[in-house]
Amino acid sequence: MSPGEPVADTVADTVVSDYGIDLDRGQAPESLFSLVRRRLTGRYPIDPFGADPLLMDLTAPPVRMAVRVQVEQGHRLPDVGGALIVSNRGLGILEPAALVVAVREATGRRLRVIGAPETPVLGPIIRKLGAVRGRPDDVASLLRAGHLAAVPLAPTWLRPGAGEPPRALLAAVLGFPVIPVAVLPGGPAGLPLRPWRVIVGQIVETETDAAPRDALVAAELAERVRDAVGALLAARG
Amino acid sequence: MRVLLTGLGGELGTRMAQLLEERSDVTEIVGVDLVPPRRRLRRSEFHRIDPRDRERLVGFVTELEPTAVAHYGVWEPDSRVSPREAAELTEACTVAALGGAARTGKLERVVVRSGLEVYGRGRGRPLVPAEDSSPAPTTPYGRSCLDVETTAVSLGRHHDVPVAALRLAPVVGSHVPSPLGRLLRLPAVPVPAFADPAFCLLHQDDAARAMVEALVRAYDGPLNVVGPGAASPWQVVRLGGRVPVPVAGPAWEVARRVAELAGAPVPPHVLELMCHGRAGDGSRAVDALELGDLRPTQDVCTELFEWATVTSIAVTRANVA
Repeated sequence: MSPGEPVADTVADTVVSDYGIDLDRGQAPESLFSLVRRRLTGRYPIDPFGADPLLMDLTAPPVRMAVRVQVEQGHRLPDVGGALIVSNRGLGILEPAALVVAVREATGRRLRVIGAPETPVLGPIIRKLGAVRGRPDDVASLLRAGHLAAVPLAPTWLRPGAGEPPRALLAAVLGFPVIPVAVLPGGPAGLPLRPWRVIVGQIVETETDAAPRDALVAAELAERVRDAVGALLAARG
Repeated sequence: MRVLLTGLGGELGTRMAQLLEERSDVTEIVGVDLVPPRRRLRRSEFHRIDPRDRERLVGFVTELEPTAVAHYGVWEPDSRVSPREAAELTEACTVAALGGAARTGKLERVVVRSGLEVYGRGRGRPLVPAEDSSPAPTTPYGRSCLDVETTAVSLGRHHDVPVAALRLAPVVGSHVPSPLGRLLRLPAVPVPAFADPAFCLLHQDDAARAMVEALVRAYDGPLNVVGPGAASPWQVVRLGGRVPVPVAGPAWEVARRVAELAGAPVPPHVLELMCHGRAGDGSRAVDALELGDLRPTQDVCTELFEWATVTSIAVTRANVA
């Protein structure tokens, strides 16, 4: 692949499947018997980022029950291929869960949330559930492998609006579609009185002729994405 | 194309020679190694030369005047030789074979074997590095691979020759002497107690095919060659019907010694794989070398456990006679 060549054009749209399980697209949890048998015989898939797709599917129903979500413009999320969702973050606790549920409802895909800690014990467990560390190299590899990932803007705590964009990370994923998304709590002060609102914005296309990690193009992309998330938040009505 | 193939006696080198023999654009295949090839080769020529005999190897290569070098003479610690000998042989073979070939002025292309070990593992290192991730090896074998790459790239720049460095995922397969393969085939296998890191593997045939493709295309630059998907220590141990033995902290040193006594020495890069995983983004190689049908890591694992176990045959003077 030569510099400047669009990264997204050089890779497959779908990820490899193992033991009949697609590593990208979620499925209904298997029966307890089947799950236990798979664990005992080792016939279950692992992905290179440490995720265990069957565990991700197992945790999906309880998360969906705990975090109710209403998705708007969900058709803007891609059905296949690598893409990066950039969303706002208030307190940053339940927003990732709301996004995971929203993406699963809209596309059936397993969302890979960026920001897993590097701590021992806890880090590997969170990665098993699909989270990925925030290293730009890893995120670029994740998108090249055809996954849909989500990264938050910097937290704004209780202030309204969009936070600082992750510039280094956006520089690493130039060439892939970036999707601005607004995640809004269902009730006042984030109380779960009503379902969360997840509003998907128009895809922000990046310049495909930009050199990989071009700092200027990445900075422009970061500003456009922050503005797009800000506009979604301002128009929430 | 007149190809010098170092490491012809190994399983990967022999397989690569077989693939090169099928090509009409390869007119001559000449290999060197410490040990002879283990399969029948039809038109390859083998010379048994110890790379530590620098004068002899340089003289031989200079006289041969190869137009292409496929450098498989990279010894993995505890595969066929001890870690110290592996580093020594790798360095001697790299310097003598590549230096001798460059001196002739006929060299047109070089492919060297390297490994994902060049990226290193641990805090601050990417989990799935691509070729543009900076190498920072954390084990002796990783440093040895990076030294091979550095020597070859420097030679390539100086003589204006394309150099492909193939960073292979750990190669496991039947007949391949691999410390990882031996460890995983023990009846009880040490696994990390508080982690289950992902690692990728590569089938021996795919490793040989990638080297051939890189050579005939005269690819220039590093490429990760990785079997699709991944495995993890706990998962693969159960796949093989082995008993996982959870180990943490200083107990790894005890586990290493026990494994060595059982016939499976655990060099630092294999220990690192078990504790921190080993993966890489191989999408660029798939694209550049058209390797769309690489065998998935899980298939490589399955094949690993399908080999027949070694059966000791009691030999007595009476039944020999």
